[in-house]
Amino acid sequence: MTWQSALEFARGPLFYGALLFFIAGMLYRLVTVVALGWSKDRVPDKGSKAGGVVRSFLKGILIWPFIPWVKNTFSRNPLIYIGGGLFHLGLFVTILLGTPHMLVWKSLLGFGWPTLPLPVVDWLAVGGIIGMLILLVHRRINPVLRLISGPAEYLAWLVVFVPMVTGYMMTHHLFFRYEVLYTFHMFSVDFLLIWIPLSRISHFMFYFFSRAIHGQQFGKRGVRV
Amino acid sequence: MSKETIEEHLKKQGLTRRDFLKLSGMLAVAAGFKFDVPEATAGGAVARRARGYSADRRVLKAMETRPRVPVIWLEFSDCAGCTEAISRSNSPTLGNLVLNTLTIEYHETLSAAAGFQAEQAKQDAMAKYAGQYILVVEGAIPVAEGGIHCTIGGRTALDILKEAAAGAAAIIATGNCAAYGGLPRAKPNPTDAKGVWELVTDKPVVNIPGCPAIPEATTGTIAHFVLFGALPELDALGRPKPFYGVTVHDRCLRRPFYEAGKFAGSYDDEGARKGWCLYKLGCKGPTTYNACASIKWDSGLSFPIQSGHPCLGCSEPNFWDGGGFYQGQSAPLERPEVTAVAAAAAVGAAAGVGTALINRSNKKAHGGEK
Repeated sequence: MTWQSALEFARGPLFYGALLFFIAGMLYRLVTVVALGWSKDRVPDKGSKAGGVVRSFLKGILIWPFIPWVKNTFSRNPLIYIGGGLFHLGLFVTILLGTPHMLVWKSLLGFGWPTLPLPVVDWLAVGGIIGMLILLVHRRINPVLRLISGPAEYLAWLVVFVPMVTGYMMTHHLFFRYEVLYTFHMFSVDFLLIWIPLSRISHFMFYFFSRAIHGQQFGKRGVRV
Repeated sequence: MSKETIEEHLKKQGLTRRDFLKLSGMLAVAAGFKFDVPEATAGGAVARRARGYSADRRVLKAMETRPRVPVIWLEFSDCAGCTEAISRSNSPTLGNLVLNTLTIEYHETLSAAAGFQAEQAKQDAMAKYAGQYILVVEGAIPVAEGGIHCTIGGRTALDILKEAAAGAAAIIATGNCAAYGGLPRAKPNPTDAKGVWELVTDKPVVNIPGCPAIPEATTGTIAHFVLFGALPELDALGRPKPFYGVTVHDRCLRRPFYEAGKFAGSYDDEGARKGWCLYKLGCKGPTTYNACASIKWDSGLSFPIQSGHPCLGCSEPNFWDGGGFYQGQSAPLERPEVTAVAAAAAVGAAAGVGTALINRSNKKAHGGEK
């Protein structure tokens, strides 16, 4: 067993299987949640539900998160806001606008898109990694968070952190040979794909549903968001 | 083994002492010799090394004292491309010096003799130099159905290899086919082609993979054995470290563009014309260990990446099946078919519906809201 063959396994059959498990698992989660049932709506609407959903998405995702002082999260706990913000921004920019990741999408979807220059992605990735470290330290220091954190929370942190760190290291050829880091990167990504449907990292999908439902409720009740 | 030393042999060919010294230096560099001698210090200053420790002096001494070593070169499931490459190697043709002038006893493509005469010459050489010759193998060995997919003179490649390997002092597998199976081994591998080191396990086998192998790497390794009677240090895949110690990416002339994130997006865009990094076009340089970027080809003229083509990773095992040649290296090796994705989605959704139904019946059983 050489690093090359381990890498081939991680990029080939394991990734293939993990991806299919991910798709099956996320659909399972989605169907079970959607089928939980809706309570009957007996109250007349005060405003537009659809408008509420649109506002919730546009303002709630694209505007408010970038203006710290309107967020209660920030005024109550700036560390969570900054660490979480850096992490999510770095992660999504790297996954969607980093050249190597775009090539993954291209190979799966059949089309690609322009990417950001490496130095830009790089700094955001560093921000993401620092954000994750801030979140971990905070989780250990904050007494409430510490009490409600079990192995599942730390594992979720780890399975996201390892791909990020190995990805950064391989981009810059740090400490280990490229194919060694690439192998670790791929194994951790494969594990992540399997772990997402089984854990709360699945919030990446449910987040949009809860946003839609909250927006709908806001719109219905005429609440301005 | 012939008693004549290499120097005596070359003298007879008309080589002057001056040319001989130049050749020694060239061989030392070509074979990638590195001699680590601890530094001696005197009064805080680094003492000058004795002349005998320099690499070219060591080669010189070896050439003056070592006998010629015969080479037998076998070709199996191959395209003779590695031989082609060697016959065009660095002028004044290191390949010629090492293979023709110095040592070669049998080479299918290069021999003047053919048929039974050539086979007889090989048998004679193997008997005469038993236990002393270097066996160079080019091409994969098909083993399916008793190895009938590659036969020479009515004998299978497997049979010929085993016979020749038995009397060899060392075996050098040149080219990806001989080393790891190469093209003949590509999926679906109908002939069950294998590399030499999978079939010969009781002899040292040096792999010089590449498609073709860099001629200087093959001749340099032969030279190393001829001069020192020992093989160079090998990596985990059996490749000599002097030539396969660093990746193509590490020595690539386009590396600064990689670092700056400047990539050619096609073979004809602005980036390609400006000589930017070929990563997006499928370059396998980052995981490919070979000396292309430093030794280059045709007397140091160029190498694929320099001429605008991404590295195919031809010095690594399974490079034919290691992802699309023109697909970025980060891409997964297999793209799930739409049917596979649909099947996975259907399984997930069906399981979800099943669970939902169970949930609902549980809810009813416990008198939940209607």
